Amino acid sequence: MEFGRTKNETQNVYSAKGSVIPRELKEPNPRLWAFIVLLGIVLYLMVTYPVKSFDGYVDPFYAPTILILPLVGLFRVTCYAYRKDYHRHIFKHPIECAVGSRGDSASRPYTGETGFFRFENLHRYFLYVSILILPFFYYDVYKAVAYNSALTFAALLIAINTILVTVYLFSCHAFRHLTGGRIDCFGCKLAGQRRKSYFDFQSYFNAHHEQLAWISLLMFILVDLYLRALGAGLPINFTILHL
Amino acid sequence: MDDVKEKRMIEISIYRTDGTGRGEYKDYEVPMQEGMVVLDAVRYVQEHIDTTLAVRWNCKAARCGSCSAEINNMPKLMCKTRIDTINGKIRVAPMGAFKGVADLVTDISENYLINRQIPEFSPKEAAVPWKIMQMDVERTKEFRKCIECFLCQDVCHVIREHKADYVGPRHIVKAASLDMHPMDTVDRSGFLNREAGIGYCNVTKCCQDICPEGIKITDNAIIQEKERAVDRFYDPLFWRKAKKR
Repeated sequence: MEFGRTKNETQNVYSAKGSVIPRELKEPNPRLWAFIVLLGIVLYLMVTYPVKSFDGYVDPFYAPTILILPLVGLFRVTCYAYRKDYHRHIFKHPIECAVGSRGDSASRPYTGETGFFRFENLHRYFLYVSILILPFFYYDVYKAVAYNSALTFAALLIAINTILVTVYLFSCHAFRHLTGGRIDCFGCKLAGQRRKSYFDFQSYFNAHHEQLAWISLLMFILVDLYLRALGAGLPINFTILHL
Repeated sequence: MDDVKEKRMIEISIYRTDGTGRGEYKDYEVPMQEGMVVLDAVRYVQEHIDTTLAVRWNCKAARCGSCSAEINNMPKLMCKTRIDTINGKIRVAPMGAFKGVADLVTDISENYLINRQIPEFSPKEAAVPWKIMQMDVERTKEFRKCIECFLCQDVCHVIREHKADYVGPRHIVKAASLDMHPMDTVDRSGFLNREAGIGYCNVTKCCQDICPEGIKITDNAIIQEKERAVDRFYDPLFWRKAKKR
């Protein structure tokens, strides 16, 4: 559709279309390369030095197995919160809102989420998979307590991590769409008032989805490092309550 | 003490252009007053220093959406930006996403052109007066707070830098306000996905950050509409149900 906007040759979004590899990945972009190298190193280290579990404490990255990590990773990659972060801070489309210093320009080809990044629309399917994986996290909390017959600091961390993952998962925008985002007339539906209340309850958490996404990711890393430290023999675990 | 206060001057730099595409910043000095906003300073320049300065404003109460400009590179309403919140020099420029007419005035007519192309409100057959429950009014009520200042259109990089065929945040909000109306019968996801180019939005949320009315543009309008487009075009499980809402 034409909107009467003046265009010139450089302001061309169509030149970016028709390419299998998105133009964002072909640009000279040190941020992207640094991110890929870092990710590569982390994944290499995680595969080479696995600490699946220690004393009954299962590492969250290995719950239930590291093989499902790509699926959980794709849930986060397609998440609206992380989409904002990487489109801004890795692809610089735009890096910030102030118009003088946003790192985006007319000369850079852009397709947004119409080209390669259309795969982000599969977010809800990765949500379904992640919900199926969630019970394993709760089993690990049970295991962490039952194995040692005590509530230890490590078990508490695993429990907090599990709660954070749950809240992050169910505060998702795709889940919000399912809880009521797709309904225009709650009054016309069965139990409309309750469904609207449920939708509002979910929307409250959804408003904090970005913060929850990052807190949950950092907690994952923290618990992983903590369990690795335990595995290395550091005496940093203590019992809170004997059961 | 009062004399000292009256003599305090603020420096303001305003972009001057005749609409030919060329222009430059000109510096002015304006006496500072308690509680002053940027629009006051611009009007002082217009009334006392250079009467040829073109600026559009109406209510000076952040209700009409006329005095949109870029203050120190951030799209803002001039009437809602207090001078004492700005450190150092104040730089005022017209909205860069639109064609300049003169000085701070821009041609925003493309927005009215786009507005006309959004499938219009088509209510279902029902006895009048309509009975609509309060809970069903709440969602669209938020979108009706829009004052059409078009700051979101200005800050949107898809429009500003890439001139893509994307209607822009304001018009997605408009479409969402019609789509989510309990009496409406039209499904606009086809229009939004194809003609309106909602896929160009990469949810970087600048529009939501700068909205002077505090409308959650991205969370409550764009993402919701994107999910509806997913229902209809990308999710085989929902293809059948998409039209029944």
